[in-house]
Amino acid sequence: MPNEIWVLAEQVDGRVKKITFELLTAGAGFSKKTNQAVGAVLLGNGLQEAVKSLTPYADKIYLIDDPALASYTSDAYLINMAPFIKEHQPSVLLGGATSTGKDLFPRLAMHLQTGYAPDCTGLTMEENGKLVAKRPLYGGKVFAEMAFSEAKPQMATVRNNTFLVNENLGKSAQVISISSHTDPSSLKKKVVGLEKAAGTKLDITEAEIVVAGGRGIKAPENFKIIEELADVLNASVGATRATVDEGWRDQKDQIGKSGKNISAKLYMAFGISGAIHHVLGIGTCKTVVAVDTDPNALIFNYADYGIVGDLFQIVPALTEELKKALTEK
Amino acid sequence: MEIYVLVKQVPDPEALIKVKSDSELEIENKYFTNFFDEFAIEAGLKLKEKFGGKVTVLTVDNKKVDALRRGIAMGADDAIQITDPALEGSDQFAIAKALAAYLKDKPFDLILAGRQAMDDDAGIVGPAVAELLGIPHVNTILGLEVDDPKKGVKVIREVEGGKEILSCSLPALFTCQKGLNNPRIPQVMNVMKAMKAQIKKMDLAALGLSAADAGGQAAKIKVQKYLPPPKRLPVKMIKEDFPENVKTLVKLLREEAKVI
Repeated sequence: MPNEIWVLAEQVDGRVKKITFELLTAGAGFSKKTNQAVGAVLLGNGLQEAVKSLTPYADKIYLIDDPALASYTSDAYLINMAPFIKEHQPSVLLGGATSTGKDLFPRLAMHLQTGYAPDCTGLTMEENGKLVAKRPLYGGKVFAEMAFSEAKPQMATVRNNTFLVNENLGKSAQVISISSHTDPSSLKKKVVGLEKAAGTKLDITEAEIVVAGGRGIKAPENFKIIEELADVLNASVGATRATVDEGWRDQKDQIGKSGKNISAKLYMAFGISGAIHHVLGIGTCKTVVAVDTDPNALIFNYADYGIVGDLFQIVPALTEELKKALTEK
Repeated sequence: MEIYVLVKQVPDPEALIKVKSDSELEIENKYFTNFFDEFAIEAGLKLKEKFGGKVTVLTVDNKKVDALRRGIAMGADDAIQITDPALEGSDQFAIAKALAAYLKDKPFDLILAGRQAMDDDAGIVGPAVAELLGIPHVNTILGLEVDDPKKGVKVIREVEGGKEILSCSLPALFTCQKGLNNPRIPQVMNVMKAMKAQIKKMDLAALGLSAADAGGQAAKIKVQKYLPPPKRLPVKMIKEDFPENVKTLVKLLREEAKVI
């Protein structure tokens, strides 16, 4: 059986996550180089919409549709995926470095006795099919290229916004339905509820644009101007450890070593001094803008564009200017 | 409740870490107990206070045991160090094997660990130990409610766009995240006591493992090359007065960076 490159597809209410399309695009590049088919592995319940949107991105879609898989648990996913991976022996299995990927992949890799590189910020494939995974260590103070042993599949989870999505791969996937192995009574844990976060913003790890405020914001209610700026850019709002510890912002929005690492296309920091804990979390952002009153603020060492100035003057003006610029587009 | 907490001593976030060569790092000698592990220790101690029982801290390390002493200073009852020269070069899966080999015959109700260690930032060992022990795990928990350990527990886990509430039977393994609790600061007296506390050592043979199970040979994944972090170009400071500086910024973001 020829080898295949597999991507664990993630979807919420039928909407496939962007990271899945990123990984399928990367997979298509590897497949050209090594002549392997690209398979999307899709688990859940009621997946017609997701299948439709995945079809142009993969050669095959392996589908396990079962009410017991409506919400993710590692138990149910592992029971279904392990036998099917052993049977098909894909050479690679990729997933997003998401709450699902980071929960499932280490356990699945241990089960399959294979190698796993977590939270990668780059992947390449050699002509012999060997995957090389680039990942940050020590919070991003150094990076490492990781090599895999002979065990298969070579598994990796990848940060959001690592690859560009190519919408013109021109594929038309064959859909292969797999029967579910899930016996709900055997599962040791189950999801009993979901508290949705207020608003419709993407998580800061998923958003392409993130704008954030630090101590320079002075009071929790002042985050309003940051939120208005975020609305114009369709961005998510991040925060520093100090503002989270003060109780001004939610823990889920904390950027940095004890919070989250983000790889946004554009990150804008307002009133953020640039403590090492914080800047380690933005190391893989493409473009960084910093605005602070202190010309010596460390944040400017980690930024592409800087303005020394008063954020209370600059943020509202920037919001207005962007409104104008983006409607001209 | 019988509770085990997996801990690790890691470089302090302020420690300087540089690439010395393709295969070697230079790490400043500044270590602390992994930040996320303290939430796990605290969670264990809280449950012990409520239900009685014992908290044991456990590490795999040939040299550094200060995380175990921190655990004892905070209130853990016992500390175990798994140490063996053959463990040098282990990947996370080998570390998990050593931990699981120790835990498999113990009468544990709950195993707790940090979300990830702040050195390899991998988050593998916790879920891998759970897999080897055949118990459920939940990652990066923000809440843990136990009314009656026999009836299982309720845990809250952060997911993109919200919080997931799960019911889970015990025994189980949870990895802990900032926001779960406020780790106690140990009293000086207890820190002194912890310095003198006895730490039980176990080697691979005592765990029924061989060098083939652990160490570099068994590694499924290896560092092929260390790299410095990607460098940003020097910052471009926009020095015009307000509001021209804002207009220039928008222009640069559109035309130069092309990100909006």
